[in-house]
Amino acid sequence: MTNDVKLEKSAAAPKKRKKIASLDRRKARSGWFFILPFLIGFVVIYLPMIYDSIVMSLSEIHMAEAGMGGYTLEFVGFKNYIDAFSSDPLFAKRLVEGLKTLAFDIPSILIFSLFMAVMLNQKMAGRAIFRSIFFVPVIISTGIMESIAAQDILNNYMGSTEGIDDGSGSSAATELVSSMDLKLLFANMKVGTGVVDYVVEAINNIFNIVNRSGVQMLIFLSALQSINPAIYESCKIDGATSWETFWKITFPMISPMILVNGIYTIIDSFTNSQNVVMAYIADTYSKGSEVLSSAMAWIYFLIVIVVVAIIGAIFSAFVFYGRKSE
Amino acid sequence: MNAQNVEQKPKIKRETKNRIRVDFDRTPLKERLKAKFLSTYFLGKIIFSIFRLVLMIGIAYIVLFPFLTKIAGSVMAPEDFVDVTVRLIPRNFTLDIYKYIISELEYWEAFGNTFTLAFSTALIQTFICCLIGYGFAKFKFKGRNLIFMLVMLTMIVPHQTIRFSMFMEFSYFDVFGIVRLLKGGGIEIFGWNVTELGEGVKTFFEGLECLPDRIQLMPYVKENGANAFRLDMEITQAGINICNTYIPFILLSLTGLAFKNGLYIFMLRQFFRGVPDELEESAYMDGAGTFRTFIQIILPLSVPMMVTVFLFAFCWQWTDTFYTGVFFNNSNTNLLVDIVGIPPSLKLEYAGQSLYYTAIRNTCGLLIIMPLVVLYAFGQKFLVQGIENSGLAN
Repeated sequence: MTNDVKLEKSAAAPKKRKKIASLDRRKARSGWFFILPFLIGFVVIYLPMIYDSIVMSLSEIHMAEAGMGGYTLEFVGFKNYIDAFSSDPLFAKRLVEGLKTLAFDIPSILIFSLFMAVMLNQKMAGRAIFRSIFFVPVIISTGIMESIAAQDILNNYMGSTEGIDDGSGSSAATELVSSMDLKLLFANMKVGTGVVDYVVEAINNIFNIVNRSGVQMLIFLSALQSINPAIYESCKIDGATSWETFWKITFPMISPMILVNGIYTIIDSFTNSQNVVMAYIADTYSKGSEVLSSAMAWIYFLIVIVVVAIIGAIFSAFVFYGRKSE
Repeated sequence: MNAQNVEQKPKIKRETKNRIRVDFDRTPLKERLKAKFLSTYFLGKIIFSIFRLVLMIGIAYIVLFPFLTKIAGSVMAPEDFVDVTVRLIPRNFTLDIYKYIISELEYWEAFGNTFTLAFSTALIQTFICCLIGYGFAKFKFKGRNLIFMLVMLTMIVPHQTIRFSMFMEFSYFDVFGIVRLLKGGGIEIFGWNVTELGEGVKTFFEGLECLPDRIQLMPYVKENGANAFRLDMEITQAGINICNTYIPFILLSLTGLAFKNGLYIFMLRQFFRGVPDELEESAYMDGAGTFRTFIQIILPLSVPMMVTVFLFAFCWQWTDTFYTGVFFNNSNTNLLVDIVGIPPSLKLEYAGQSLYYTAIRNTCGLLIIMPLVVLYAFGQKFLVQGIENSGLAN
């Protein structure tokens, strides 16, 4: 035994390699130590919850009398999943509706937040003030404020001039942009009606979009600031216009963040409690059919995972990674 | 700038021992100004910046308008809501709504409770997320990416999916059947109970019973109310009921599973990746362990980022309704999110009722977010800087 050790020690190269390996292993062990809280929580709290939820969505629930240990479950297979579609007339409808809203929201939020980030990245008067104003909704308009805003009829009332005789005699002035005028304008420009409808709806929905693009704006802003200014300088010297610079430099450079933001937006808007499907599932839950609601939630989750996977696959084909070597 | 100008000899205006003032034959000031300000480039820039300013002000208006209407509505008297000529500026100014909400809905108590909850969870979350994010950023170990995927998973799975099981988990909290064992329930393996082995085994396990049926700490602090220092937990064989206390929040925060913690971990991981390795290496050279390096070298560096995460965690916990709805299921809880309602003295039946009640609810909202606005005013510098420096994009 001692001979072996001596032999090993006498050979310089293996000893060195061994030492490095042990340092690596020690670092790996500290790595585990750092993520230990999450691991414990995941195994002890999160996994059982996920497991329970899946089991519950596959069973019928019978509540036991109080104090005797909760409830008993009876395995019924995919009955709840089938029920969600067959016996609940509204669920499928809400699902389609929710996905439609999602498809509508993602592009407008992404485009808007990118646009605003580019704007806020430029040097201008009062930039700091505008920045802090635009991030107000991220911090404040969440949770309870969202549900207060959802039933806020005062906001429209205050903004409207209805009932006040302004002499024009039209009530259409209450909308932010009179959609008729805008439609006429676009029709004269010979743009397709689909695009026109989309833009008009986006503009009338602008409050919602502004409110929900705060985090995305932050992410884009930090991405924009991490682009090397030397690239812009060389572009300028070569005589590129800022339009060209945007599409040839800025856009490819932040394309990874477009992917991240796209996925974040999907997740954020479908876990949002104001979302139609989410609201419907919460409603089903509070009506006392917990198992049905968890089955619905899993259906919804699977659908969104598929959406995220598809969009992620499409986007990542176009993403440009500047630093592949890293 | 043409060749002629360069060849011309500069006029020497004044010369001292170590200074010389020369005057090149420059184009006159008038010409220069003309070239600068009358070019299409300059005009385009001016027009663009005006357009940009107008746009920014417009969007700032959209963001702030709901707050303006809330503030305007909160100081109006009931008769202003039926007066069609009154919109944003109240005719009869009154602070009644604030007065009655604060006095009748127990605002300060709710404020205190919410503050304790949000502050303690935000502190824990900031520290724990730093720890986890640092672990993911700086150490290489097997399965790191897989575990990071799990973090992402906790972010992607909607809360609604696990709402009921979360409620059940914390109503009957039990880790690996320890509570069950100590309550004399024996060990359960996949639904099969060990005590079924025989009468002797059963008596043995029942003899283990050593936990009380109920744990109460400070029962004198308001009956049934949510209070950080009050504990009232019922213990049965199915587990400890820790709902209606702050323990579930603390547990979730300690394990990085609380509201949006996946996002914080992601942000912090990106930030720590940008911290140069040399810093830690020099600390290791000096004989510091990894944890000590983390506490003494890394944490002081990342204060702006930590303030950002703290701000997010605090504000989102402050207004959160989902988790408080799950864990505080009796109606006696008094947190800020529960005060949204109509104070009895302001109940009024008249034509403008729905608008008036909306104004009252909005005022509740204003009172809820007031502390957040103050906090944001102090913290927004860190928020923007922290995110910018985070290199979230690397």
